[in-house]
Amino acid sequence: MLNYIWAGLIILSLFFAVRSDLEDERRNRFRNGLPFPLRIELDGPYHPEASILTGTAVISGSHFAAFYGEPVAERELRYPVRLLRLGGQTEIRLLVGPSAPGPWEVARTMHNPRTQDEIRGRLRRLRLFGDRELEAEAVWNPVRFVKVRAVAQAALDLADTAVEVALGLIGVMALWLGLLRIAESGGIIRLLVRGVEPLLRPLFPNLPRGHPALGAIALNITANILGLGNAATPMGIKAMEELQKLNPRPEVATHAMCMFLAINTSSVQLLPPATLVALMGLGIGELMLPITLATLCSTLVGIAAAWTFARLKPWRDEHI
Amino acid sequence: MDWMAYTVFVLPVLIVGIPLWGLFRGVKVYEEFVEGAREGFEVAVRIIPYLVAILFAIGMFRASGAMEWTVEALGPLLRAIGFPPEVLPMAIIRPLTGSGSVGVLADMIRTYGEDSLVVKMAATLFGSTETTFYVIAVYFGAVSVRKTRYAVAAGLLADLAGVIASVAICSWLFG
Repeated sequence: MLNYIWAGLIILSLFFAVRSDLEDERRNRFRNGLPFPLRIELDGPYHPEASILTGTAVISGSHFAAFYGEPVAERELRYPVRLLRLGGQTEIRLLVGPSAPGPWEVARTMHNPRTQDEIRGRLRRLRLFGDRELEAEAVWNPVRFVKVRAVAQAALDLADTAVEVALGLIGVMALWLGLLRIAESGGIIRLLVRGVEPLLRPLFPNLPRGHPALGAIALNITANILGLGNAATPMGIKAMEELQKLNPRPEVATHAMCMFLAINTSSVQLLPPATLVALMGLGIGELMLPITLATLCSTLVGIAAAWTFARLKPWRDEHI
Repeated sequence: MDWMAYTVFVLPVLIVGIPLWGLFRGVKVYEEFVEGAREGFEVAVRIIPYLVAILFAIGMFRASGAMEWTVEALGPLLRAIGFPPEVLPMAIIRPLTGSGSVGVLADMIRTYGEDSLVVKMAATLFGSTETTFYVIAVYFGAVSVRKTRYAVAAGLLADLAGVIASVAICSWLFG
């Protein structure tokens, strides 16, 4: 099933990205190739030989909105501008900074991917008023296939993130796996197993009596209930390792593993995770009841689903 | 809630209590700790391929705008059955990524305000379900299990139950 979901995510991503880009292309959302009239107030007097001119571009908000067909909040947009003269052509660089109105928000990340604060284009039909004011038409560099690029970039970025996340677990993982080892040698796990066996046995009928996996599972569930997400993961991994020792086919999940995962992914927790407390502030108090009730629902359904699937044809006798 | 303040003691009590207990039982605590901790690195490295596979696919999916499209397409249908479409992004993103769902919730708080019903629903949903795909990647990755059988299906059904329960319970309590 994971094979199909995984492939589905990737294929759907490309499909929706292409679809969105074709839609942009059809509407010419970025007005590629169309002349954009603007006024430039130069910092110094105009000089026909100068290779770089600086100034301020002044664009009326209503004109911008009419050109792109998207509303803007500002009545007038003013941006620092640089004009570069290269072999008879005039290049324009509009310094929009870290955020820009309408389609420019996307264009700035494409025109200068490194700094992401410029709109670039070519200037034509320059007309001089006095010696410090210009009127001209700008044709902005075309923006195309935004989503397709974004999707590819996301794949690269998230591959990095995945490694960071995994390596970031090393410390907490080492701490808890070390403590768990002491707990095992000190007999805490054995005691725990004896205590929780009657409760957990019905969910994991295939485990041998007194197996340490039950202890690790109990610890993991307790850590989850107490909202100790950091501790719960190493304990869960400890439980998986214990379950794996009983697995005759190491690359295939056992019924016990699937049941454990179903309980775990449905998040048995009675204390809210710290992130939620931080986001909701005092409002968290009145949410405790609905969270507890919803958790019970999802956990019960998870257990019921795992129990049922274990008895369905494709998975029944194949494997422990 | 006042009693929640005392939960800060759970962690220190465990971290001190386990070695203390071990000491009384004659365990060579330091040596055992180091032996166990050694595995931390191996586990982290072992889950890398599983995590890369899951996270990059989810990252692409989020970047593609497929979610916005789904919300738009399903909006009228959801409204018809009494499910607020505003909660749908949270329902889709929650099993996929933890940081992503924090972002969605923060956005919703900014847009609708802390006291709105949809934010309460989304927060309940956030608190009552887990990042299913992440958990599956990490837990199965740690023991190198590639064939996950029905674990994903069971996890997603549990998530679905969490979504329905969050919406139903919140509209019953606060609606």
